Amino acid sequence: MLIEFQDIHKRYGAVQANAGIDLRLEPGRIYGLLGENGAGKSTLMRILAGHTRPTRGRLLLNGKVADGLTPAAALGLGVGMLAQDPLDFPALKVWENFVLGKRRRRSETLKRLQDLSHRFHLRLPPEEKVAELTVGERQQLELLRLLDLGVKVLILDEPTTGISVTQKEALFGTMRRLAAEPDKTIVFVSHKLSEVEELCQEVIVLRRGRLVARVAQPIRAKDLIALMFGAEPHAALGTEARTQPLEPPLLTLDRLHLLGEKFALEDLSLEVRPGEILGLAGLEGNGQELLLRGLAGLIRVVGGRLVLDGSELQGRPYLAFRRAGVHFVPAARLEEGLFPELSLADHVHLALPRNGRGTAPLSPEDAISRFSIQAQPSTPARALSGGNQQRLLLSLIPARLRLLLLEHPTRGLDLEATRQVWQHLVERCRQGTAILFSASDLDEIFAYSHRLLVFYNRRLVANLSTRATSLEAVGRLMAGQERTV
Amino acid sequence: MASSTRSLGRIIAAILLSFLVTAAVLLLADAPPLRTLGILLQGGLGAPAKIGQTFAVWVPLLLGSSGLLLTFAAGLWNIGIEGQIILGAVFATGFLRPFPEGGGVVLVAGALAAGILGGALWAVTAGGLRTWGRVHEIFGGLGLNFVALGLTLWLIFGPWRRPGVASMSGTEPLHPSLWLRELAGLSLSPMSLTVGLLAFGAAVLLLRRTRWGLTLRAVGQNPEAALLFGLRPNRRILEAMAVCGGLAGLAGALQVVGVYHRLLPAISSNYGYTALLVTMLASCRARFIPPICLFFALLNVGSIQLPLQLQLDSSLSGVIQGALVLAVFLVQGLEERFLFPGRGR
Repeated sequence: MLIEFQDIHKRYGAVQANAGIDLRLEPGRIYGLLGENGAGKSTLMRILAGHTRPTRGRLLLNGKVADGLTPAAALGLGVGMLAQDPLDFPALKVWENFVLGKRRRRSETLKRLQDLSHRFHLRLPPEEKVAELTVGERQQLELLRLLDLGVKVLILDEPTTGISVTQKEALFGTMRRLAAEPDKTIVFVSHKLSEVEELCQEVIVLRRGRLVARVAQPIRAKDLIALMFGAEPHAALGTEARTQPLEPPLLTLDRLHLLGEKFALEDLSLEVRPGEILGLAGLEGNGQELLLRGLAGLIRVVGGRLVLDGSELQGRPYLAFRRAGVHFVPAARLEEGLFPELSLADHVHLALPRNGRGTAPLSPEDAISRFSIQAQPSTPARALSGGNQQRLLLSLIPARLRLLLLEHPTRGLDLEATRQVWQHLVERCRQGTAILFSASDLDEIFAYSHRLLVFYNRRLVANLSTRATSLEAVGRLMAGQERTV
Repeated sequence: MASSTRSLGRIIAAILLSFLVTAAVLLLADAPPLRTLGILLQGGLGAPAKIGQTFAVWVPLLLGSSGLLLTFAAGLWNIGIEGQIILGAVFATGFLRPFPEGGGVVLVAGALAAGILGGALWAVTAGGLRTWGRVHEIFGGLGLNFVALGLTLWLIFGPWRRPGVASMSGTEPLHPSLWLRELAGLSLSPMSLTVGLLAFGAAVLLLRRTRWGLTLRAVGQNPEAALLFGLRPNRRILEAMAVCGGLAGLAGALQVVGVYHRLLPAISSNYGYTALLVTMLASCRARFIPPICLFFALLNVGSIQLPLQLQLDSSLSGVIQGALVLAVFLVQGLEERFLFPGRGR
């Protein structure tokens, strides 16, 4: 099916998820849709599958306007989406799941299931309960069910998460066979570059809600990295922050082993000096978050040493880290960082309690003027824009601090707001605070950090001086094409 | 201000709706709705003695609701408040049992303190199950309510039974010198009225005017952020439970020294559950708590007249209270659905 997106905009409150996307997808091809978290790829696909409606713009299917789609209507037109988590009924058998929503006899269903499985080289036990299947098999079942419904457009949202290599091969085989059939369009949403490279005939890259490139085969992972992480001007404060401090280390990691919920980071050894800024580069979910949270005392340490200012902190509670002068600022500002219904003044009182003499270190009015927050002391946090929420979070950081850890400190902020945030952070590091931050913008990392830590495949693969490396080299490391440590 | 006006409007709409439901129930039971409501009000307000009784019920409801303001602020569903009232009564009775000859004010004060301790311990148990054992406070609290009831029955029929007769009528009555003094002709003790009002004022002040109250609200809004802010959410949860349980235990102790003068199986009179309804109906807005408590107390006392005059069961007051709370949630839900149709989808 021919799919045309025309000037698609989608806004969620203060967040512009899609900002004017024009895109034409032809039948008979497998498209890769690539972008970091929050780039807008899921939103765009949810619009196509009828899960949400665009704020502005049109969607055309085979040249006809498809407005106000619901998931059922989209499916009726032949658009099917394979969700990240299979949408099935674990208590029912395979064939019962397969036949749901249709009137068909058991024998007929079994035959149909067998035919389809055969056509796409998949094997599913029809009498087994879905609860007994692996995630990969449940995905195959869902895929066959969609194909049985006659979908012409198949959207796969991060389908290779949690399935085995053989199942991945089977899935890719199915997709190739499907693309060879007439009038079928396949969209493969992912942030795994190697898979996109292997499977897709063309890759569409989104960044900050905009379409930044279409790349046809031959696709090279390192070009895609440059496109995903883009090139925006960040020169404002860069140069003066470059002089690398040479004092003895403030923070030492010695073969630290952090055990997260999904995976572990092993063998982390690292030294950070006072006033140093370290940028954490890598595709999202490769350990940057785990390291930041581990340094904040929020992740279990199962081995090694974490020494801050000469005292060992591994295994100590979060509050001990706080007392030692560590502060963590999460990326999910409203979900994890702030109290949605409490006022700005309440936040200041909670974060910066009065000291023994009853004087507050910072009044709400000071916070507002010093951090140019556009709000009143009585404004609740949920009513603030993303930039103002971030400025509020910055204003709540204690004055005397040793180590500042920031997850995506400028995510969702415009250039001016980003510049202000960095102005403040650079000032902090002049006072001797060391900063570690993650970002999905390589230019930002290059502009502000003395050193870069590169993560690939859930490991720390490089620890480089920003001066001594290049965007291209880091791109190659992030794509797993080179190792230095 | 606007949101306060809106919740007032919501309560009024809910009251109208719940009276419609109640009228329908009454018509089904072949009772004249208006006359029945008349008898209810008469039963609660008709004579000075009735007014006294209404206020005597008002006090435990006010104490419970005051405590629940704190636990709700901390994001907790303290269903276990019923058991906390019972434990307050048990501890107060246990404290006074060694003094069959009676005593003075000091002993009564001691009984109240023991009641506070009992309720707080029971509440901290539910809180500990939540923070340490990861048992949701609804399930923990509900379970502990049954344990509290079982404990009371065991005490009344076992170790604390009256010599010769073990019966549902409870333990041996306290020596009259340990009873709270009542206003002449009214079954209302000025002491318990004062305690109730002071507790309500203190709860509101704690919640609105202290850093501790702000911290509780922060924990209730976003436990993850509270953790990052170093506010120790688990400790705050235990504290909120302890204070609420203490107030509930105080209510239980007052039932012993002020109303029944002994331990009864039904000593809590479901005031804990009723206080939950009150607090939900008030949408946790403190200013609505005293009038709603009064209204519910009025229904409770008034409904005693129903079997006598209309051959209706006195559980009608429960029907009205339940219908009211459901109506509030319904009005709130419909408002959400029709005024903000985009949300929640």
